[in-house]
Amino acid sequence: MSDALDDRIRDARGELAPLLEEARLARLARSEAPGADSVCAWNHFENIW
Amino acid sequence: MATVNGMRGVSRVPAYVVMQPTTLCNLDCVYCYLPLRAQDRRMTVEVARAVAADANAWAALDRFSVVWHGGEPLAAGREHLGALMAPFGPAVEQHVQTNATLLDDAWCEFFAARGVRVSVSVDGPEELNTSRVSRAGRPAYDRIAQGIAALRRHGRSFAALCVVGDPRPGVAARLYEYFLELGCDTLGINIEEREGVNERPNSHDPESVRAFWAELVVAWRADPRIHVRELEWSLRYLGAVLDGTSGDLLPGELDPIPTVGHDGAVVLLSPELAGFHDPVHGDFSSGNVLDTPLSSVLAEPRRTSWVPEFLTGVEACRDTCAYFGFCGGGHAANRYFEHGRFDGTQTEHCRNSKINLLEGVLDHVRRP
Repeated sequence: MSDALDDRIRDARGELAPLLEEARLARLARSEAPGADSVCAWNHFENIW
Repeated sequence: MATVNGMRGVSRVPAYVVMQPTTLCNLDCVYCYLPLRAQDRRMTVEVARAVAADANAWAALDRFSVVWHGGEPLAAGREHLGALMAPFGPAVEQHVQTNATLLDDAWCEFFAARGVRVSVSVDGPEELNTSRVSRAGRPAYDRIAQGIAALRRHGRSFAALCVVGDPRPGVAARLYEYFLELGCDTLGINIEEREGVNERPNSHDPESVRAFWAELVVAWRADPRIHVRELEWSLRYLGAVLDGTSGDLLPGELDPIPTVGHDGAVVLLSPELAGFHDPVHGDFSSGNVLDTPLSSVLAEPRRTSWVPEFLTGVEACRDTCAYFGFCGGGHAANRYFEHGRFDGTQTEHCRNSKINLLEGVLDHVRRP
């Protein structure tokens, strides 16, 4: 049932790749910041694993 | 198709507990869901001690947090909040979600001394912050800004929580620019929800919502300093689909997310249910820490009348929704306050904050 969604995501692999790489690098940069805790909760209480 | 393995049943051990030191809030935000925010019903130290007995044990085994939530936690005062925090050992991480209006040098020193992580509620620049008002209906923005300035003066890192009432193109870029200037290191964006005593409609044009999220991606890519919760998880999910690991992205069980109210009553899974009453489910509580240890309350979640109905709803989401692997199922409070029951499936909240979020990110990458 999620086949169609997954197919659309896979079809966008080429366009997604640079965005996912930017996210990886941003994560790395944040983890190396002074005092950083080298992730936000998801599907949890959203007003604040 | 990827089989989603996670979110089956409720874990007996939480990753955090939400604590309500007082029901009182000094603000009267238009969209607030809390029913008792004009009253000052305070948690006793006895309640905090009862929770700490289990929290300290959990923290010895794994990372564990206590979140002081509202009402406005700072409205309890430093002396009382300090007494409530005292039973929790140093291994327990402490977090506070505050409207920032009471933050000053003394509060910053209080948090620094205890290693408390602070998150502030602010909806963006003054012109987008008009729903956050005092009890007299006056804009709270200047006081919020003063409180955040105190955090910055003390060199305290902080997170921000932003409620968006009208998600549309033009808003996201302005918001991200604002939060970059504000200096928060983490940002959560909630599209306003219809829950609790907030009955304002939350249905939006899906194209506008998708465009809002797509615009946020553009703004974030230009300067990705902020950990934006919604984008982080969208990108994690999209990457997992490409890697063939999307079925394992969600945790094996739902976190019980126990909320301990001012009186010691425990509400599971959705803190927004605390303080409400239903003809069938009563006050939604699963017990009280003043007569039952929290770990015992969490041992049998299905004994709480509404939890089996909610878990049926989670399985209905798994069976019927293409986005389940990303979302993990609609939240209990959103189901209840939108559908009047816990086993319904797609909510406006799902559409605004999960489905059109993921589609907005995809729109961004597919843009010619």
